[in-house]
Amino acid sequence: MTTLPGDASALTDDFGEITPEPGTPAAKAIEGRSLTQIAWTRLKRDKIAMTAMCIVILMCVIGACASFVAPHLGGGPNTFHSNLIDGDTSLPIGTAGGISSKHWLGVDPGSGRDIAARVIKGAQWSLLISFLATALTVILGLVAGLLAGYFGGWVDAVVNWLMAVFLAFPVVLFGIALASGLPLRAFGFSPIWLRVTLLILVIGGFGWAYFGRIVRGQVLTLREKEFVDASRSLGASELRIVFKEIMPNLIAPTLVFASLAIPGNILAEATFSFLGVGIPLPEPSWGGMLNDSLSQYQYDPAYLFIPGLAIFVTVLAFNLFGDGVRDAFDPKAGR
Amino acid sequence: MSNRRSRVAFAATSVVLTIAVAACSSSNSKPTATSPTTSGSGVAATTPSAENTGVKAEFNAATKGIVNASTKTGGTLNYVTADDFDSLDPNRTYYAYSINFQRYFSRTLMAFDAKPGIAGAKAVPDLATAPGAITNDGKTITYTLKDGIKFQDGTPITSKDVKYGVERNFAQDVLPGGPTYFKDMLDEGQKYPGPYKDTDPNHLGLKSVQTPDDKTIVFNLSAPYSDFDALLTMPIGAPVESKIDLDPAKGGSKYQSNVQSSGPYMIQSYEPKKSLVLVKNPAWDQSTDTIRHQLVDKVTVSMGLDPDDMDKRLISGQADLEIESTGLQAAQQTEVLRDADKKANADEPLTGFTRGFALDQAVPELANVDCRKAIEYAANKVDLQTARGGPHGGGDIATTVAPPTLPGYQSFDLYPSGPDKTGDLDKAKEELAKCGKPNGFHTNIATTNKGKGPKVATALQAALARVGITTDIQQFDSSSYYSTVIGTPSNVHSKDLGIMVMGWGADFPTGFGYFSAIADSRKILQDGGNSNWPEVKEPAIDAALDDMAATTDPAKKAADVQTIDHKLMEGAYYLPFTYDKALTYRNPRLTNVYITGAAGMYDFVSIGTSDGK
Amino acid sequence: MIRRVIQAVTVLFAISIITFGLFFMVPKLAGADPATLFAGKITSPDALNGIRIKLGLNHPLWQQYWDYIGGFFHSRQFDNGPDKTTCSWPCLGYSFKNDQSVSHLIADRFPITLSLAIGAPIIWLTSGVLVGRVSALRPRSLADRSSMIVALAAISLPVYFTAAVLRLFVVFKWHWLDDIDYHGFTDNPELWAKNLLLPWISLAALYAASYARFTRGAMLEVLNEDYIRTARAKGLVERKVINRHAMRPVGTLIITLFGMDVGQLMGGAILTESVFGLHGLGKLGVDAIGAHDLPIIMGVTILAAFFIVMANIVVDMLYAIIDPRVRLS
Repeated sequence: MTTLPGDASALTDDFGEITPEPGTPAAKAIEGRSLTQIAWTRLKRDKIAMTAMCIVILMCVIGACASFVAPHLGGGPNTFHSNLIDGDTSLPIGTAGGISSKHWLGVDPGSGRDIAARVIKGAQWSLLISFLATALTVILGLVAGLLAGYFGGWVDAVVNWLMAVFLAFPVVLFGIALASGLPLRAFGFSPIWLRVTLLILVIGGFGWAYFGRIVRGQVLTLREKEFVDASRSLGASELRIVFKEIMPNLIAPTLVFASLAIPGNILAEATFSFLGVGIPLPEPSWGGMLNDSLSQYQYDPAYLFIPGLAIFVTVLAFNLFGDGVRDAFDPKAGR
Repeated sequence: MSNRRSRVAFAATSVVLTIAVAACSSSNSKPTATSPTTSGSGVAATTPSAENTGVKAEFNAATKGIVNASTKTGGTLNYVTADDFDSLDPNRTYYAYSINFQRYFSRTLMAFDAKPGIAGAKAVPDLATAPGAITNDGKTITYTLKDGIKFQDGTPITSKDVKYGVERNFAQDVLPGGPTYFKDMLDEGQKYPGPYKDTDPNHLGLKSVQTPDDKTIVFNLSAPYSDFDALLTMPIGAPVESKIDLDPAKGGSKYQSNVQSSGPYMIQSYEPKKSLVLVKNPAWDQSTDTIRHQLVDKVTVSMGLDPDDMDKRLISGQADLEIESTGLQAAQQTEVLRDADKKANADEPLTGFTRGFALDQAVPELANVDCRKAIEYAANKVDLQTARGGPHGGGDIATTVAPPTLPGYQSFDLYPSGPDKTGDLDKAKEELAKCGKPNGFHTNIATTNKGKGPKVATALQAALARVGITTDIQQFDSSSYYSTVIGTPSNVHSKDLGIMVMGWGADFPTGFGYFSAIADSRKILQDGGNSNWPEVKEPAIDAALDDMAATTDPAKKAADVQTIDHKLMEGAYYLPFTYDKALTYRNPRLTNVYITGAAGMYDFVSIGTSDGK
Repeated sequence: MIRRVIQAVTVLFAISIITFGLFFMVPKLAGADPATLFAGKITSPDALNGIRIKLGLNHPLWQQYWDYIGGFFHSRQFDNGPDKTTCSWPCLGYSFKNDQSVSHLIADRFPITLSLAIGAPIIWLTSGVLVGRVSALRPRSLADRSSMIVALAAISLPVYFTAAVLRLFVVFKWHWLDDIDYHGFTDNPELWAKNLLLPWISLAALYAASYARFTRGAMLEVLNEDYIRTARAKGLVERKVINRHAMRPVGTLIITLFGMDVGQLMGGAILTESVFGLHGLGKLGVDAIGAHDLPIIMGVTILAAFFIVMANIVVDMLYAIIDPRVRLS
């Protein structure tokens, strides 16, 4: 089977053969460095990628500080302000969704909670889940791909079959079903952490098959390379070959995959929250706010655009950064 | 997707059939619901306009009188709904709008009068010639059928058909979903299995109901029940032709696709979740019916619509009425309220529902009444009202369990929450101290996952946090929320659902119909379908309910309503926050539009069109 | 080829078992007896018993699953004494909540999903490939850079946000279109297309962007190949080089991708259908989950998986036809 979604086309390239363009000053300077170091040097010269990285870092800082910042903004993310809501229409009183010096992104219709505080708190959950889900995908994909690619035979057949099952699964339907059947607390988790764990497992646990295929393909080529043969003829154990010879060559595709998977997972978390099975009440989430905004958006477009732009800017920044990382590892793809 | 109002009888809490609307805004209305009045048999129905004064078509006009009273015939009525009927089988329907819609094709011994407001909540004879004749200390009730009443195939309706319809209520294994009053009141130890497993050759083996001749039907109750006339208005009392119902191809669970009409319209086609078309029933005779008319040629219901799309069709005039009567959604509510012309076509009836929370005394942390009182004081009713949709979309702030539309309702407030109604935190802390938890405690709030429930739950959560009562919100699928999630006490206990979002309206517009399921200690159903969510066990309430069932004196019934309401609030079993309202839109081309006190919604069967289209 | 088919069948089988097991467990976890979910408000023991017998809930789980799978091959009968319901072949289950067979419901909803899966791919394939080609032929030009940034931006937008913004402007602010009101293609092709325009565009925007990026990447790679240089060296006209030599391998890759995406879409576009209130398969599935209507969930899930698996096979076969070097293993 062949799946080659556009975003990761470069991943099918051979990462072992990166050659700096001859004649550039960098050609000498990077001699003797690792692939990662070379890529970093290239990345630093990519203005768009660096700008995107700054936005990414800024979002991460906001997300990390959300628990301390959000409660001090406009009364906190969960405080109702009925006095700011029009009784007839449930809309915020004032212009652009009730923007004021106290509520600088306005308040939400039907309850009057501060949107700025909610967007910031939403960033925390969104980033946390997408990072951890990506980590899970990467680990599962690496293990599966290594097993299948290196050992071949029936292991390959089984892993391949599993990947086919996971790729054919309607993930969204599944996530909804799992979330709706979950008790409030279980396994010692509090309600919010139970749901966060579930989201990480669903988003991360269903994404591995695709990455597993990439890794498998890489390992299949690497296995046949001379340096692996050499190592084997010197009597290296299987484990040593996997960890010392093959793994280092998987760092590049892993980094590229991860940087492009994170924005995808941010969107996935937003989607689950949008469908009402993501972050539980009363915690804010970008997807949940978007869903909430739909009932009145022709009268209160601000409430639609604020969480929508939060998702857009964050995901775009991650995507641009991910593109930069890919190009840095593989300049052939070109910008 | 959109945030639509949860349906009135959504999740099958019960059915709203309440008394009167605008007429009852005074706090102490005199109940008249069940006092029998009759107009005798065979009297031709008078036109609505001749009986009642019409009102000008303006905002909320249909709650005050008849809008566009007219006898003009012809045209097609186009209803819309986002959902479907729970069932078209008269024995299996329990949603308020389904019961109201059944009036088109299911006649019953008694039926609610076709009149606006409180007069529409009066049970009057329909198939019967007069209200039930009560003998044997209230335990035997006898009705005589009118002449000339027929099913759509021309077969005359006899007392045996009515009895057969009642018997179907016992076949819960085949026909689940409807109210089980008959089964509860008429079995008397016979363990009647329903007509399908009946060994009687005519399948009429239920002993407590007798049909000495084709015109007479006698009900022998296990205990006196003074609301029996009102109970018989429910479609579970409709006649059913046994030869059709016993045909395996047409009857039983398939009867809902083959309902035999006894009313002015009959089903031409029905595609679940898509469409229903009713046409005139040629076998129906106006001279036998004092309630219904045959004004329009055809009635259509478009089902399963997107809520947004549905509301747009209403406002643009492509559709006539929304059948669930739960009101416009937020965006369309804004559109209508901001436009004076459109606002004139809107009504805002009290639906007869009270929105609130049930505080379960059987959950350990709420076992102490003072802890529950702390919740009553700490709640911010303005925020709750806002979360519910404000004074228009939500309703007026409530302080009692009984809605103002209930006969016997009296206004009182045991837990004044300050001049701005945002809660009395000092009092709440006092109660917490009395309860032995001065720093608060932790419990869970149960809510549906759709509509306003989640927002209402977060509003209470935020308010309670102010006095240290911490809560976690658990959302459940709305389809099984009332029936199994909060309707099963063991489930409530194991999930520790101390506070439950709820809405309640009466099955039929009497104090007994309203309170019996939510307050009677003997009706705590352990196997699901329980509506006494707080597991109220108050001997005084049980006694008042028994008294209500036995007495025929309206004043005594009113006193009982007040007793129960006070006891429920004193025990802080419920935390009511709004008397539910629905902003509904009527097409200006419609005639004879009014809100009936029986259902808190438009009386569908009376409506005609002015343009004949 | 036979191995492919066997794999496809086992994959479908595994998915059906997992779905059945999971959705059977979910109501239990949520504390609800599956029988009570069908009983409505009144849950008397009699009613529950009747439902259990009729739905076969009194049988062990494996037998229920077996009976369910049996429906794929012959009609099924649901009996509770005199009360009989027949679910004719092919029986993907019977939804007692809707009193309709799942095959009927799916057949009813499928045209909408199919309409989405026809219109949107046409838009994204043509626009995506065109933009990608233009970009690849002038790498690093202004047109290339701006279109690639736009493409990346489109990928970064959640479809429900795009949909809402489109609707806000096109319907509410500029009044170019009325709101969505689905018409069948056979009823009125013009209204059909007009009403599906916004869903198509919202859905296509996402895919078009990634197709543009993909096309560009693949073409750049191909243009560096030796045989293209050879072709150019032979003095072939540039347009011929591109159309005859470069587009061919790129086209193969795109068809692969396209087949997979359309296959996935045929199983229902949950978000697009939900946002635009289109009653397709995706919405049917989501609504069924909300109502714990297991037969519908099973039917929709298995059908969606079926389309994906089928698309895989079709794509592999196409691949072999277009590129004879690829042998089907």
